[in-house]
Amino acid sequence: MSLDDAMQTFIIECRELLESMEAALLSAEEAPASEEAINAIFRAAHTIKGSAGLFGLDHIVSFVHVAESVLDKVRNNEIPLDPPLVALMLQVCDHIGLLVSYLEQFKEPDNDLLEGSAILQAGLSTYLSDTPQPSASTLPVEHDAPYESEGGTPVETDNWHLSLRFNQDVLRNGMDPLSFIRYLGTLGKIVSIVTLTDTLPPLDAMDPETCYLGFEISFSSTADKADIESVFDFVREGSQIHILPPRSKISEYIQLIQSMPADDMRLGELLIKCGTLTRQELEDGLASQRTVESPDQVKPIGEVLIEQNVVQPVVVAAALDKQKAVKDVKTAEASLIRVDANKLDQLINLVGELIIASSGASLIAQKEALPHLLESTSTISRLVETIRDSALSLRMVPIGGTFSKFKRVVRDVSAELGKDIQLEISGEETELDKTVVEKIGDPLTHLVRNSMDHGIEPAEVRLARGKPVVGTLKLDAYHDSGNIIIEVSDDGGGLNKDKIFAKAVERGLIKPDQIMSENEIYNLIFEPGFSTADAVSNLSGRGVGMDVVRRNIEALRGTVEIRSVLGEGATMRIRLPLTLAIIDGFLVEVGDSSYVVPLDMVIECIELPVTQAGHDAENDADFINLRGEVLPYLRLRKHFEINGEPPRRENVVVVQFGDRKMGIVVDHLMGELQTVIKPLGKVLNKIRGIGGFTILGSGRVALIVDVPSMMQEAEHAAHEHITQKT
Amino acid sequence: MVETVKQAVATGQSLVAGGRALEDQQQYLTFMLGSETFAINILSIKEIIEYGNLTIVPKMPSFIRGVINLRGAVVPVIDLAARFSRGEAAISRKSCIVIIEVDHEEVQQVIGVLVDAVNEVLEIASEQIEPVPSFGAKIRTDFIDGMGKVDQKFVIILNVNQVLSVDEMAELVQA
Repeated sequence: MSLDDAMQTFIIECRELLESMEAALLSAEEAPASEEAINAIFRAAHTIKGSAGLFGLDHIVSFVHVAESVLDKVRNNEIPLDPPLVALMLQVCDHIGLLVSYLEQFKEPDNDLLEGSAILQAGLSTYLSDTPQPSASTLPVEHDAPYESEGGTPVETDNWHLSLRFNQDVLRNGMDPLSFIRYLGTLGKIVSIVTLTDTLPPLDAMDPETCYLGFEISFSSTADKADIESVFDFVREGSQIHILPPRSKISEYIQLIQSMPADDMRLGELLIKCGTLTRQELEDGLASQRTVESPDQVKPIGEVLIEQNVVQPVVVAAALDKQKAVKDVKTAEASLIRVDANKLDQLINLVGELIIASSGASLIAQKEALPHLLESTSTISRLVETIRDSALSLRMVPIGGTFSKFKRVVRDVSAELGKDIQLEISGEETELDKTVVEKIGDPLTHLVRNSMDHGIEPAEVRLARGKPVVGTLKLDAYHDSGNIIIEVSDDGGGLNKDKIFAKAVERGLIKPDQIMSENEIYNLIFEPGFSTADAVSNLSGRGVGMDVVRRNIEALRGTVEIRSVLGEGATMRIRLPLTLAIIDGFLVEVGDSSYVVPLDMVIECIELPVTQAGHDAENDADFINLRGEVLPYLRLRKHFEINGEPPRRENVVVVQFGDRKMGIVVDHLMGELQTVIKPLGKVLNKIRGIGGFTILGSGRVALIVDVPSMMQEAEHAAHEHITQKT
Repeated sequence: MVETVKQAVATGQSLVAGGRALEDQQQYLTFMLGSETFAINILSIKEIIEYGNLTIVPKMPSFIRGVINLRGAVVPVIDLAARFSRGEAAISRKSCIVIIEVDHEEVQQVIGVLVDAVNEVLEIASEQIEPVPSFGAKIRTDFIDGMGKVDQKFVIILNVNQVLSVDEMAELVQA
């Protein structure tokens, strides 16, 4: 792990900590903060400060330190965690996030940033000033009692003694021992430090990446042992770190000296040099040690310590518990692996190739009609299918993370708007592709803001309408026939059909005499340059946004629908595919070309009734009677201008998208297959009616039919046809 | 024929990769469109494959012939004759698809070009390349990099990034 990698981990960790800090703050705002929540906030700040200290990021350390001090007071019930403080702390969160992102972009903190730090620090220090915090040095030392001992005189010094022998690989692991010592300096005062260079080999044998140094430190601090120990958490592995509390017994020092590989006297000298021991103390200690030393007295160190009343039994038990807890956390961590997204993509690409290759093999097996071969290829296909599913599930993440971000958005926006709005979240566990999750954030934010701004009415209006004063915004997610549905609903005024229509006419989007269905009118709000807000607000109402929302969602092969009841509320329903890479498809043929219809849209396949086949194609009234239902259809041959005569018997693939059904007339039905979606590429990106390519087992390229856009186009064409006639 | 040229393309590339290619002595692949000879700098050429297994994409301008499967990647094939507004190329036994890499927004796009026949890989010294005539070449002047003198005749050296301009073609696809 290089330093850059470590830094990357630090950045990711910070982000996560900030997220949990924000979540805890928001929950503290809703209900009186539980002790746990406050601790969580404090811990997050503390950990960020600690890690930043390791990297020598002084500007972050000093900033977070102030926040931490305030939080510490909150933790000690000295000041309440009231809404203004929460608001301030949220700003602090944001600012830390900003500091971290500067780090990520390798930017030096500029003046604006530092100014921001200063302003927030000033805000925070008002909380500190009213109960002046005693400076570290005047705090009473509370650690004396447990360390009192009988068998030996305590040493004279009041300082901690730290004996550090770093793991030789510490530099290679991306840590700089100096940064730990520097960080140690934030906990107290380093009284003296002696650097051990004994293990340093001759220059020609020295490996520049190996750490040969050890340190003996005399340290004055009011921090407790756990805090000092935690400084070295990152390098504990493979390093020898001994921390002796102030006024430890001589024998402990002796033990320390003996536990070190270096020769006793040499170390003793060092301790003297450090100012930890006086020469007299050392000599006495060594002498007494020699007298009692005999093999049968070797006891586990814990026991020895207890016996000598250095540590109380409780402390040992607590330490053991802590060790166990650390272990538990480690196992939980081990069950999660961070993987580079590129590696995952590569795996999924390979699985895609595997699918193509295996369907190629199946094809040959079918042609050759060898029973054994057929059997083994079908086994392979089944396995490949399982591999595909598990490979894709690697990319699946629950949407909860995205949803919980909206707590903050709703909080901030409702404050800005002066409306009281609560957020209800359900379906957080619904999983979808990571790429989709990443890209759905922006459109969702737009929709949420829009609902809050335009949907939910001001309190007076709500009261007059007999609704609860507090508006409700709901976020929900669930699976529905191979798609994922995300809903943003509010209990506001709903969409005003007439107002939208009038506005669209005014904006020249439609003609005043146009006849439109309710849905079509609602969809007008997604047209570029459409906005119904009478006053342009800070949030929405600039007419940008809703069209961007639709574009973003369509880019994910999804759609957005609106359900609205005037006076009762509106629901925006986003429908998205589960994954972007691989789909189950239904293969059809028209002429020489193969087309794939996404299987989750196919409802059934029927033969085109012969009487219908002879239907005059010039007349656009193309529909069939599907068990009493009118089913409009379009001929793929005609739609795609494919040359050649249709066969005598044609087939209809009945597809459904949202609540609309349509028939697609094709020559032959070839059956189901799994396909890997190949993007259209830059040149063919803007083509309509085709969603992508896929490669068949035979090696030929087939076209994936983009059902929604085809439906839209057919409706549009029909529309124009009618307008032309009238 | 195709095999030998393919080999030439391969060696040409290794020559360049070895850094031994001379600045003023660039290599070009010459090919036929109808009765005319054109040339493309070999550096942008990935490979040459025989014509076949083309999938037609509906509702495309005539110069987009279709797409092919190039070892798992879907590559659009451009009919160069149609791109030069000379009508669609007829397919013969000698028809080839030249696979070319063009830069588009710092990403390499792979595009296939349908030609009537490939000839050979030539070295054309820079002093043998004449500037583009302002008219008379019968194709858009921005498509031409220069006129190479080969055996007392001129071959049109094409500017691949212009001829296969991704933006321009994407515009035409949309229309």
